[in-house]
Amino acid sequence: MTTIAPNAGQTASPASDMLATVSSDEQTLRVMLKPHLSVRQVLDATDLRVRAACGGLGTCGACLIQTVSGEFNPPTLAERQKLLPEDLANGMRLACQLRAYSDCELYLENPAPHSAWKSLDPTQLYQASGNPAISEHVYGVAVDLGTTHIRLSVWNRQSGRRIGTRYSINPQVAHGADVLTRLDAERLDVQDCLRIGQQAREAIMDGIRDILSRDMGEITPVLAALGKVLIVGNTAMLTLICGNSGDSLYQPENWQSPIACQPTDADAWRQIWRTPHADIDIAQPLAGFIGSDLLADLLATGITEQSQPMLLADFGTNTEIAVWDGTNLWASSVPGGPAFEGVGMRNGLTAEAGAICKVSASGLQTIGDAQARGYCASGFIDAIALLLDKKHLKPSGRFAEPPTEQGFLLQADMPKSAIFASDIDIFQRAKASTAAAMAQLLALAGLKVNELDRLWICGSFGQHLDLNSAFRVGLLPTLPSERISLLANASLAGCEQLLLNPAGPNLLNDIVQRARTINLGGVFEYENRFIDNLRLQPMPIGEYE
Amino acid sequence: MLDAYIQSYNQAVFETDKQAALDVVNQALSDGFSPEDIVFKLVIPAVELMMTLIEKDPDANLAQHFMTAQIAADVTEKMLEKFSKPPEMIGRVVIGAAYGDLHSLGKRIVSGCLKSLMVDVVDLGTNVSAEKFVDTAMTENAQVIAVSAMMVHTATSEKGSLGVRALLQERGLEQQIKLAVGGAPYRFDPELYIQVGADAWAPDGVTAAKVIVDLIREVKP
Repeated sequence: MTTIAPNAGQTASPASDMLATVSSDEQTLRVMLKPHLSVRQVLDATDLRVRAACGGLGTCGACLIQTVSGEFNPPTLAERQKLLPEDLANGMRLACQLRAYSDCELYLENPAPHSAWKSLDPTQLYQASGNPAISEHVYGVAVDLGTTHIRLSVWNRQSGRRIGTRYSINPQVAHGADVLTRLDAERLDVQDCLRIGQQAREAIMDGIRDILSRDMGEITPVLAALGKVLIVGNTAMLTLICGNSGDSLYQPENWQSPIACQPTDADAWRQIWRTPHADIDIAQPLAGFIGSDLLADLLATGITEQSQPMLLADFGTNTEIAVWDGTNLWASSVPGGPAFEGVGMRNGLTAEAGAICKVSASGLQTIGDAQARGYCASGFIDAIALLLDKKHLKPSGRFAEPPTEQGFLLQADMPKSAIFASDIDIFQRAKASTAAAMAQLLALAGLKVNELDRLWICGSFGQHLDLNSAFRVGLLPTLPSERISLLANASLAGCEQLLLNPAGPNLLNDIVQRARTINLGGVFEYENRFIDNLRLQPMPIGEYE
Repeated sequence: MLDAYIQSYNQAVFETDKQAALDVVNQALSDGFSPEDIVFKLVIPAVELMMTLIEKDPDANLAQHFMTAQIAADVTEKMLEKFSKPPEMIGRVVIGAAYGDLHSLGKRIVSGCLKSLMVDVVDLGTNVSAEKFVDTAMTENAQVIAVSAMMVHTATSEKGSLGVRALLQERGLEQQIKLAVGGAPYRFDPELYIQVGADAWAPDGVTAAKVIVDLIREVKP
């Protein structure tokens, strides 16, 4: 949500983050409350959401929460209208109006039913100015359809107001059928392709409805006034959501050429979505192996409008990489493998509650301070860096002492902290293919690492990433940290710009015109670079200088 | 004797430390050992040792296979340049990824090990037609065609190994040229190599080199 609820106490609000312990009968969560966000906004990004049926204006009164201890802003006008004086006196508040002035404890008697959807931090997303020329069907939706995640936002295109954002796991992952892995290993049958495509459509509408029900309080009339849905994504997912089988992706001749992704059944699609006026638009991928999600990243970061050289990497199931030399763009993608999204490793997780996200000599830290359930990518990279420093792990990827069948326990009493030899192997190959691709594109562009003005890391992967660990294991070239930018939701931000900025399509076209797509499978030096980058050590500098 | 170097070279290979391996070899050279001795008494035994180790080492991973094969190939190549006369090669293999398959890295491990075992490798790259495999094997007098396939449909396609088998049969070459296959699908189904008409298969690139050397010896005792 971009809208911050009007709040009488805002001027007195403290500047620092406060620690809140929020309990329901099911779970207890520890979260940092940001001074500019309400308790509801903070909880919307977690597994423990309050009930809600308005955009956080205090008009629905659904987000009741009990304050147990701590200092808070005084009740707002909205709360005094919605709550009985005795409830207020007993510490009952509306989460959308509530801000903490100290560390605090809160109790949520009736949390929202469990949902896979969470809100995104909107601070790095697109700022729209609105378009008065749009007079009917004013609502619009931007979607970033990834292999493992779906991110989306609903907008009033006329006013330029973002109504809400959400992200969730792509259901094809939840059902244990990682599409890219399977496209690689075996041909998906037509039924599988159609099912994955349909699931993605259902998931997107589910996310839209979650926003409308919680952030607007009405669904059907808004769907009827939905004028445009714009989807960016990787080529495989875009092909499948259009209702095509993945067959065209198997043909090597398609890998480097543009693949047309157009819905085969737009009318039926609109009918099922109950969005009769929605123009469902697929931002076309650059090539068979480079999706429009990379194009959206480039739009969001504005790299191609700069005169200095820059490198952009969007880590995911497929890692897409682009090098900009000031005039031209070199783009490619490599199989990051599941290593960067935590799926497929023995104790791998996406960045969700309970994921070990940071590891240092002093201990492990999990998301939401919940009980550790496994590693997300950033925690795993920290763990490898630490194991190397402590010489438990050698640069070859072998353990100094072969671990037992339970794996190497980073914390003795925590089975979910176990790391296995096969995890290291997967990671080595993923990081080597990425590092080699960066080096190869730089070489093609005639650039050296130290000439890069900026390195952009896109995708949720960068959210918790410790740069020093990434340098230590050789995942990223060692650059001064002020020249590295992390932009977690760049693809969605770019998609929003494409949806809302009238100049967006021209900017996109300009990027496409300047892009050269490189199929690294056909580049012999790439293989050498790949093998040279398999060792767990900082990137070989000699080659880059 | 070379004994002092063997241990540190084997250690460097085990640690996948290419620079350390090259340092050992260069030291041996400057101490007066011949490039021939280094290859036949140091490098080749190390590759053979590695083959045995990798079969037994539960901790060995694919990344290590890539690196060890690369070290063997690089060191051998550097030494071969210094040989007083070209070495006698034990045979020749034509290798490539099957038609429709763009995965090139798997066969790198095989090529690296084969080169260090004194096998000539003709690498046709990726997406290679059956005709090209057989035509090249004929003109190059190769004893083995090795077809890598990383996807089920490229492994089982009529244009892949099956196509090579059909051409070998058609041209009456089945006694002179053997067919080896490898790649992920064969690991899932150990009987698959028979279905696609191959004479042999191997579960990993290092073992594949051994299997190919055995096939060469069948044809060219």
